Amino acid sequence: MTRIKNLIRLQQVLAAVCCTIALGGCSMSQLVARSSLGLIDAGVRSMNQETDLELARAAIPANLKLTESLITELPGDRSLRIAAAQGFYGYAFGFIEDDAPERASLLYKRGLDHALAGLAAAGVQINLLDASVEEVSRSVAALDKQTVPELFWTASNWAKWIDLNRNDPARIADLAKTERLMQRVLELDPDYYFGSPHLFFGVYYGSRPPMLGGDFAKSALHFDQAAARSHKHWLIVEVLRAQFLLRQMDDRAAFHEHLSQVLATEDSPPEMALVNAIARAKAQRLLSQEEDLF
Amino acid sequence: MKNFFALTLRNFALTLCWLSLAFSAHSQETYTLKFATLAPQGSTWMNIISDWSKQVEKESQGRLRFKLYPGGVSGDEPDVLRKIRFGQLHGAAFTGHGIGHIYSPARIFEIPYLFRDVQEIDTVRAQFMPEIEAGFRKNDYELLGWMEVGFLRFFSKNPIRTFDDLKKSRIWLWQGDPVGIALFNASGISPVPLPLADVYTSLSTGLIDTTIAPPLGAIAFQWFTKTPYMSDIQLSNGIGGLLVSRSFFTKLPDDLQALLLKTGKQTSARLITETRRDNEKSLTVLRQNGIKSTLAWKDVDEKELYALRDRAAAELIQSGYLPGEMVERIRRAIIAARSKK
Repeated sequence: MTRIKNLIRLQQVLAAVCCTIALGGCSMSQLVARSSLGLIDAGVRSMNQETDLELARAAIPANLKLTESLITELPGDRSLRIAAAQGFYGYAFGFIEDDAPERASLLYKRGLDHALAGLAAAGVQINLLDASVEEVSRSVAALDKQTVPELFWTASNWAKWIDLNRNDPARIADLAKTERLMQRVLELDPDYYFGSPHLFFGVYYGSRPPMLGGDFAKSALHFDQAAARSHKHWLIVEVLRAQFLLRQMDDRAAFHEHLSQVLATEDSPPEMALVNAIARAKAQRLLSQEEDLF
Repeated sequence: MKNFFALTLRNFALTLCWLSLAFSAHSQETYTLKFATLAPQGSTWMNIISDWSKQVEKESQGRLRFKLYPGGVSGDEPDVLRKIRFGQLHGAAFTGHGIGHIYSPARIFEIPYLFRDVQEIDTVRAQFMPEIEAGFRKNDYELLGWMEVGFLRFFSKNPIRTFDDLKKSRIWLWQGDPVGIALFNASGISPVPLPLADVYTSLSTGLIDTTIAPPLGAIAFQWFTKTPYMSDIQLSNGIGGLLVSRSFFTKLPDDLQALLLKTGKQTSARLITETRRDNEKSLTVLRQNGIKSTLAWKDVDEKELYALRDRAAAELIQSGYLPGEMVERIRRAIIAARSKK
């Protein structure tokens, strides 16, 4: 009899616990999500230090999905949005774009949506995708240094999304907006992400002939600035210089020299390890295409 | 005698063997067509040209392959022409600018206010193509396919509602372009001659306030961000061509020549269709971006416009850029095409 009583009591307790969890499910999972934020941050840092490309390629998707699941709980969390925007950009750029540009385009768009949500959470009132170039300029002029990560990853994902859809007039028309966003980053924090705002402008001016808006001298200056700000440790600078500016200038000797130099550089500061490994892989790939490119 | 026959037979067999070897060596010879274009990698034009190169390589079983130089890496059109002359390149997708240096009568289709829509273009151009192809051939180029840049419009900072407004504008002229010069002379407008590369900056500094481009060009060059107005009236239809030097073309065996011509025509049809579609899409995008239309046909005196057209053509005939007899024929062909509408 006592056993039966105990069993009934246990059932009641369990039911009460289940009920509490069900009723308070939302706040519970938000609580769990919030307690995981530090983990996501550490995950991004750890991934940036990864030296094994295959391990990174296999691990990033799971991290991205985890980040997105936390975002469903905390949609307005800026640090999660930045982690997702950076993650989608890095995964598409490092592992997908060269072999599957159409898939990469969709990934950049997802990164862009996260970055835009981050900007909205930071107080940007207008929808930048539909706004005019002037409206974008006015809107970002009011932003301060705190929003540099959102601005940077918005401009970066957006520019790549445009780059992979150059056959769509609607995409090409947005290029000027990305330039305004990154110009604001350059004003607020030119050192962000090892001087990458300058890297953006190196590609922006170096990937087109002068008659289509390119400017080789400006491009070279920006690449030099990016290299100087990372004390020449950020190898992707030289890869992009070769891929865009030197290719556009039809300078095969310099193209070969810069990429060979990237391959010969083995040391890397820990926080640049993954991107430098990606840079070496891209340098190798570009060198193998040299005969076809020139 | 028997020996003689045996010997002859052996010689014959040897000759046959040698011939077949020579033939197979010949048929295995491979050719690389170095082909340049200003169209950027990934653009509609470049995607179609890239498909063309893959088709040729596949259908020739690797005997003829393209080496493509997209996005202006070989320089602008005068640079490309020079490189073709020196044999560093063999062909290119040229616009009217470059075509004018090869065979200027082909620019007859660019006479201002000549065509009003694409149906007129298709009807009239078909009648002139055989002589245009022959003209290129006489000037050491083979025309593999025709292209269009699209109908050009005025893009301006201030609304242009009348011809007088246009006369007050500071309009860009592509430096050294004879068709542009004839247009402005005929209109009584003093344009601002500038290289293409300086247009964007000059719109910013105010050196010019009006530019001329097809809708897709206004977007690709980002000029539309400086010009909130565009004309409804279409100035002329910008031309283009897929051209290869005769010195390269004639070295190819007959079957490869035929392959290039056949696939060039197919590519041309795709390029024209897609360019027209892109320009239509671009008009929508421009309107979505708040660009307002001005200067419709109803705002101008048609007679005045056609008089302007005739004065521009007369100047081009006088300078020897276009043959007068051909201009007269195209004028009649357009009247005939319009009467059938």
